[in-house]
Amino acid sequence: MITIDRVSKTKSGTRILHDVTFEARPGRVTGFLGPNGAGKTSTLRILLGLDRPQGGTALICGRPYRTLDRPLTTVGALLDGSGAHRARTARAHLRWVAASNGLPDSRADEVLETVGLTGDARKRAGRFSLGMSRRLGLATALLGDPEVLVLDEPVNGLDPAGIRWMRGFLRDSAVQGRTVLLSSHLMGELAETVDDVVVIDKGRVVTHGRLADITGGHRTLEDAFFALTATEAGGPW
Amino acid sequence: MVNLVRAELRKLLGLPTAWVGLVLGTLVAPVVVLLNAPYTRRAIAAGTLTDTSDLGLRDLGIGLIGPMVLGVIVVSSEYTSTGRDAPGARQLTATLAAVPHRLRLLAAKTIALVLVVAAQAAVTTAATLTLTQALHGEHVPVPAPARVAAAILYWTLTALLAYAITLITRNGIVPLTLLIINSSVVSVSYLLTKVTDLASYLPDIVGAQMFIRESDFPVEVPPVTAGLVMTAWIAALLAVGAVLFQRRDA
Amino acid sequence: MNTVRAELRKLLTLPSLRRTALLTWAATVLLTYAYASAEASGEKLGDAALAPLGYTQAGFLVLGLLAATSEYQEGDQIRATLLAMPRRLPLQAAKALALAALTLPVATATAATSTLPAGEAARIPAAAAYLTLTTLLAAAVATVVRRAVPATIALLGLYFIAGPLLRAGSPASAPYLPDTAALDPSHGAAATIAWTFSALTLAALTFRRRDA
Repeated sequence: MITIDRVSKTKSGTRILHDVTFEARPGRVTGFLGPNGAGKTSTLRILLGLDRPQGGTALICGRPYRTLDRPLTTVGALLDGSGAHRARTARAHLRWVAASNGLPDSRADEVLETVGLTGDARKRAGRFSLGMSRRLGLATALLGDPEVLVLDEPVNGLDPAGIRWMRGFLRDSAVQGRTVLLSSHLMGELAETVDDVVVIDKGRVVTHGRLADITGGHRTLEDAFFALTATEAGGPW
Repeated sequence: MVNLVRAELRKLLGLPTAWVGLVLGTLVAPVVVLLNAPYTRRAIAAGTLTDTSDLGLRDLGIGLIGPMVLGVIVVSSEYTSTGRDAPGARQLTATLAAVPHRLRLLAAKTIALVLVVAAQAAVTTAATLTLTQALHGEHVPVPAPARVAAAILYWTLTALLAYAITLITRNGIVPLTLLIINSSVVSVSYLLTKVTDLASYLPDIVGAQMFIRESDFPVEVPPVTAGLVMTAWIAALLAVGAVLFQRRDA
Repeated sequence: MNTVRAELRKLLTLPSLRRTALLTWAATVLLTYAYASAEASGEKLGDAALAPLGYTQAGFLVLGLLAATSEYQEGDQIRATLLAMPRRLPLQAAKALALAALTLPVATATAATSTLPAGEAARIPAAAAYLTLTTLLAAAVATVVRRAVPATIALLGLYFIAGPLLRAGSPASAPYLPDTAALDPSHGAAATIAWTFSALTLAALTFRRRDA
């Protein structure tokens, strides 16, 4: 369970998040939707203890990220890139992360197999393609077999087979009882994956609720999205 | 080519670290002359300085960190990783997309670097020598223009040395470490001259003999020869760097 | 503790650290030889036991700064680190501990290389301690600065240009500079310790408050 309550953030003098409030429940895939620069990544970074909010709280299972003991066994996060140093091999990267949370080294090989990177285990992360980097990032998130998954633009960089795999994986995770929160600016694959939707624009939550309710009278989620986030100027940016 | 040079100049002057090199390199030597003034006066009076014509020119050495930084940053900035999604990509990818002919790119970079450091050399040399004259003018003769020109050449060649090494190693830390250690009070090169006479032909040692009179080196080299040897070193290293740059993957 | 284990693993799997340690030791061998042969030909250049270390301490500075900046360059690893180990002060402590643990053997070997031939084995512990503290100081500075080239300029500039200049111009400043202990342990030890701990504290506090 993820609870975000009136989170505000200022960066370089500009307010980028205004009282962002929403929940992500277990057993459901929650989609955090918004245009580029809306504040999705900023919110997730605060949730994960990477950045400090100026106001509000972001809790995972009732606690701030920084207070979690062995956090990777509770939360698995996939942000952009793999987080691995380019000179280190994929396996070496996973092994130090595993050690940090007291996880057995065998988990490194197990997650490599889950994401299909076993053959590239001894390759240096700097040689990975975009898709491989994302998969390594996902492998890292899965090391602790966490009950909560937080993913920022999870299908970014994946090929069609990868996107399909990811979609199935996320739905299965939710069915197994996990809390899945993913952010995206792409409507297409989101509509087929999520149960709940939170729409954010310019640092404010515009609406949130079940997918069916949000799509409501519009033909597709995409239409609903544009209707909800229409800018004054009417231009695409 | 003029456009390329202009682009490279803009790139260089847009880097904060380049400005560190620019400002430090220009100010350090004059400031040191100022701060050392009382000490120098005493040394002159006591007669411990045998060749006072070296005075202002020697002090320039402390500012060499400037051209070193500039020479390094011109290249090392191309090798910084650009993004998290693909840590294998570098700024160089974008640069080569804009200017695929690598030797032309290198030529433009070299010209831009030389323009900046030569200008810096002129400014700091003028400042340092003027200050030296103002403070110790009665005892210190004005250096001949040829010597001043030699000092500016040394300054510029030092930048090119840093630049060439960075081209070869693709990394800023190695050349910076080597060159800064070597510019300390007792440089490694100087140390090596005590071991073998050949070390007198190392670029920084031999180059100094272009304009410094009083030297403690085992082999005395006339100024013009010194200049040619140092230039030869730099040319050779630049050639190696250029070949590697041309042939390597970006 | 898990955090220390993870940090040790990180340091051990970074190729640039191994290379730096090796090069530093090799350079010490070379310089020791240079000093020895100069002395043999009648021109004593300085304290042959410690003087080579005055130069190769640069390698230890680089070791510290590479270890610290590896989190911020080439892939933004600091995020993965903070997600796995979100409590920042224990993390900083673990990093320092792991770095010290791995640097000490290298420092001892390097110190031995220059002191043993001069017959001054008794100076090894102090020299090794100094080199290790130097690495920690460099890592702390690099944690605040985050970028390798500026950190290199700052650290090497201080140790090889500003330091010697200050000492030459004002000998009274010597006991306050971090690098005096390289050549003159009896006068500089306190300064090195103080500088290192201050730097580590500053780094820890900065790291704790800022965004990843």
